[in-house]
Amino acid sequence: MADPILQIQHVSKFFGGLAANADVSFEMELGMIMGLIGPNGAGKTTLFNCITGYYPPSRGDVLFKGVRLNGLQPDAVCRLGMVRTWQKVKPLAKLSVIDNVMVGALARTRKLSVAREVAMEQLRVVRMEHKAEFLAGGLPIGERKKLEVARALATKPELLLLDEVMGGLNPSESDEIIQLILELKKAGLTQMVIEHDMKAIMRISDRIVVLNSGEKLAEGGPREIADHPEVIKAYLGERVE
Amino acid sequence: MIARPHRGVALVWILVGLAAVAFLVVFGLVVKKPYVLHMGIMLFQAILLGQAWNVIGGYTGQYSVGHAAYFGVGAYTTIMLLMTHGIAPWWGIWLGMGNAVLLSLVIGSITFRLRGPYFVLASISVAEIIRLAALHFKDFTRGAEGFLLDAVPSLHLLGAEIDFVGKRPFYFVALGLAVASVIANWAVERSKLGYYFQAIREDQDAAHSLGINLTAYKNVALAISAAFTALAGGFSAMYVKWVDPNAFSLPEVSIPIVLTVIIGGIGTIAGPVVGAMVLVPLQEILRNPKGLVQVGILSPDSSVVTFLAPFANAHQLFYGVLVVVVILFAPDGVLGVIRSSLRKTQRRAEPRPAAPAAPA
Amino acid sequence: MTVFLQSVISGILVGGVYALVGIGLTMIFGVMRVINFAHGDLLMLGMYVTWRAFDGLGMDPFLSLVITAPALFLWGAFLQSAVINRVLNALPQNQILLTIGLGLIMSNSVMLIYTSDYRIITTSYSSASYSLGGLSISQPLLYAFLVTVAITVALYWFLLRTDTGQAIRATAQDREAAQLMGIDVRAMSVLAFGIGAALAGTAGALISPTYYIFPQVGGVFTLKAFVIVVLGGMGSVVGATLGGIIIGVTESLAAVYIASGLKELVVFVLFLALLLFKPSGLLGKTRA
Repeated sequence: MADPILQIQHVSKFFGGLAANADVSFEMELGMIMGLIGPNGAGKTTLFNCITGYYPPSRGDVLFKGVRLNGLQPDAVCRLGMVRTWQKVKPLAKLSVIDNVMVGALARTRKLSVAREVAMEQLRVVRMEHKAEFLAGGLPIGERKKLEVARALATKPELLLLDEVMGGLNPSESDEIIQLILELKKAGLTQMVIEHDMKAIMRISDRIVVLNSGEKLAEGGPREIADHPEVIKAYLGERVE
Repeated sequence: MIARPHRGVALVWILVGLAAVAFLVVFGLVVKKPYVLHMGIMLFQAILLGQAWNVIGGYTGQYSVGHAAYFGVGAYTTIMLLMTHGIAPWWGIWLGMGNAVLLSLVIGSITFRLRGPYFVLASISVAEIIRLAALHFKDFTRGAEGFLLDAVPSLHLLGAEIDFVGKRPFYFVALGLAVASVIANWAVERSKLGYYFQAIREDQDAAHSLGINLTAYKNVALAISAAFTALAGGFSAMYVKWVDPNAFSLPEVSIPIVLTVIIGGIGTIAGPVVGAMVLVPLQEILRNPKGLVQVGILSPDSSVVTFLAPFANAHQLFYGVLVVVVILFAPDGVLGVIRSSLRKTQRRAEPRPAAPAAPA
Repeated sequence: MTVFLQSVISGILVGGVYALVGIGLTMIFGVMRVINFAHGDLLMLGMYVTWRAFDGLGMDPFLSLVITAPALFLWGAFLQSAVINRVLNALPQNQILLTIGLGLIMSNSVMLIYTSDYRIITTSYSSASYSLGGLSISQPLLYAFLVTVAITVALYWFLLRTDTGQAIRATAQDREAAQLMGIDVRAMSVLAFGIGAALAGTAGALISPTYYIFPQVGGVFTLKAFVIVVLGGMGSVVGATLGGIIIGVTESLAAVYIASGLKELVVFVLFLALLLFKPSGLLGKTRA
C-alpha cells in the first residue's frame, strides 16, 4: 500500500490480565472508509482509544502519516489531524451548538471570528445551522450525534474515527449520517467507522476489519466479510447481508 | 453560559456597568460614615475574590476550596516585604502575585490529575498544610502572632501625594481592583481561553480529544485565579494591617469565596457581584450589628441588635446554612433562579415548536 | 527501643479508634458515593453527648455509649433522609460543599450553645496506665481499643452474615443492580449514614477521656478519616480498619521523631501523596 495514512502494527492492550486488544494489525490508505465491526466487547472502542492516545497501547505501534503515535496525548493527536467521536456522545452541554463546534475550530485558529465562520460551515454540512444558538444539552440524540461530527470536522482532520455514530438513531437519521459519511469521503476525508448496523457498514465501507475477543478475526471487502464463515460464527449465526 | 447576547444587549450591560462605577465613585467621594465605606471595601474585595475564583471554579469547573492558599501568600508577601524590607506595597504586591502564580503551578501539577471531589480534597489539604506550616515555622512567619502593620506608606503619584489614612483611599483602590477583575473576566470569556476553559468544565475527555491540552489550560486558569486572589490578599493586608495564619483558613477565607460565587451564580460575570451583594452585608451585620446603629439605621436598643449580638462569632454558622440552602434549592445561584423563571415566562410567550418529523 | 515500641503501641490503640471513624466514612462513600466532609463533626457531637452524660448524669463515658451511639445513629439517619438524599445526583463538588456546610452548622451550633471552652472528662482511670515489660499502656486507650475491637467484630458479622448487612454491601457494590434485585436502596442509604454517624460518635465517645473536647475538634478528625479511607481504599471496610491502625502508628511515630507540632501537617502531606500516587489505596475499589 503506497503511503498508508494509518498503520496499526501488532497493537495489544491489556487491562490487568484481560487482553482487550490482542495483536491487531491493519493499514488504511488515504481517502478510504474502513469499517470496524465485531460483537460487543470485541475491543473496537479500546482500539480507538489506543489509536487516539486516550491511553497508550500496551504493545505494538500506531503510525499516523508515518509518525509513531505511541504515548502521544489526545490533543497532540488531534493537532496532527486525527479526531474521534464518542460512542456515548459528549456534548459540551451548557454551551450552545455553535460554541461547541467553535471549540473544535479553535484547534486551528486563535481568532474567534474565524472559528465562528468555520463552525457555521460545519453546521451547514450536517444541516444544523438553524440550531446554532440552541443549548447543546437540550438536543435530541440524533442532533447530538450530528453536533459531535460537526465539532470533530471543525478541527480540520485528515482522519475521522466514528464510534457507533448511528447508535440510537432511527432509519432516516441513520440514512442522513450515511449520506454525510459518503459526502465526506468525496471531499477526501479518510474515515474509520465502528458500527453495529450491518447494512450501513456494507454500504459505506471499502474494507472491513472484524474484531472478536480482542483479536483480528478477518479483513476484507464487504462481500468477503459477509460470506466469511468465522465472521458469521462470531455473530452467532446472524445472517450478514 | 457563553451566552451570545446580541450586540445591543452587551452594550446595555456595558452602559449599566459604567453607570454603576460612576455612581460608586461619586458615592465614595460623598459618603461620610466610615462604616459605610468599610462595607463598600468588603463588597469590592468579595467581588474581586469571587471573580478570581470564577476563572478556575466557574469557567474551568475545578472547584478549589483551598484558595486561601493564594490569598494568604499575597497577604504575607506584601506585608513582610513592607515590614522587613521596606518595599512599598504597590511593588510588593506584584511579588505577592508572582509567588501565588508559582504556588499555583506547583499545586496544579500536584492536583490537576485528580478529578471532581478528589481535587476539592487535595486543594483543601494544600491550604491546610500551608496554614499549619505558617503556624509552626515561627521564625519565618511569626506564627500565630502574625505581622502587625503601623501604617501604609504614602504614595507619590504624578506629583500628588496619596496618604492611605482612613478608609476612603482604600475604598477607591478596592473599587479599582474589583472593576479590573470584572474586565479581566469579561475578556477571558470572549477569548479562546474562555472557550477552552468551559470545554474542560463540560467534558474533559471531549476537550482533550479536540486538541485542548488539559494540563496547560488548567494551569493557566489557576494562575490567573491565583494572581487575582493574591491581589486581594495583599490589599487586605494593607487595609486590615494585620496578617496571621488565619489568612489561610478554610472557613474564614476559602469557603466564603466559594459561597459568594455559588450564591450569585457560578460561571457568570454577574454572579460574584450578586453573590457579594447578598453575602457581604449579611456577613458584616452579623459580625457587627452595632454597625447598623452607627449608620443610623437602627436605634441602639433595637431588638434586632439584641437578637443578633450572640451570633457575632457564629458567622460560620451562617455560611453553613447558606451553603446548604443554596445547594439544595438553588445550585445555580440567584442568577440561575432568575434565568429559569425568565425562561418559563419566555416559553409561555412563544408558540410551541413544530413536532419533530415522524420516523420513516 | 522502648520509646519506639511505646510509640507503636499507643499508635495502635488510638489507631483502632481511628479505624472506627474511617469505617463509618468509607461505608457512607461506598453506599452513596458521597464524600462526607462533616464526618469529624459527627465525632465531635459524640464527644459532647458523652461529656453531657458525664457532667450532667455522672455516667462513665464507656457506659454512656448506649446513649451516644443510638443518638448519633438517629441523627445520621435524619441527615441522610432530610438533606443528603436530595443531592445524591448532584455534582460531587456540590455534595462536598453541602457536607462542608452541614459540618459548619454542627460545629458552630455547638459553639453557640457550649462556647469554645475546652472541656475535659476526667475519670478515675483517665491518667492511669498498665505496666507491661517496661512499657506503659494507657488504660483509657486500652479500654477504647477493646471496645473498638468488639464493635468492629460485630460490624463485620453484621455486614457478612446478616441479610441487611449483605444488602448494604450489595448496594455499595452496584446500586442499580441492587435495586433491580428488590433492595430498598434508599433505606440502605439511610442505614449506612446512620451507622457511619454512630461509628463516628462512638469513636468520639471512646477518646473523650483522653482528648480535649471543643467545637472545632471535628475538622482534624475529618481529614484524618479521609487519609485513612483513601489509604485503605474508598469503600473498603477492611482497608479502613488497616488504614486506621497505620495512621495511628504513623502519627504517633511522627510526634516522637519529627515534631509534635508538625504531626498534623505530616498527615496532610501523606494524604496528598496518597491522592497522587495511590488513589485507589491498598485495597480500593474505585479509581480517583
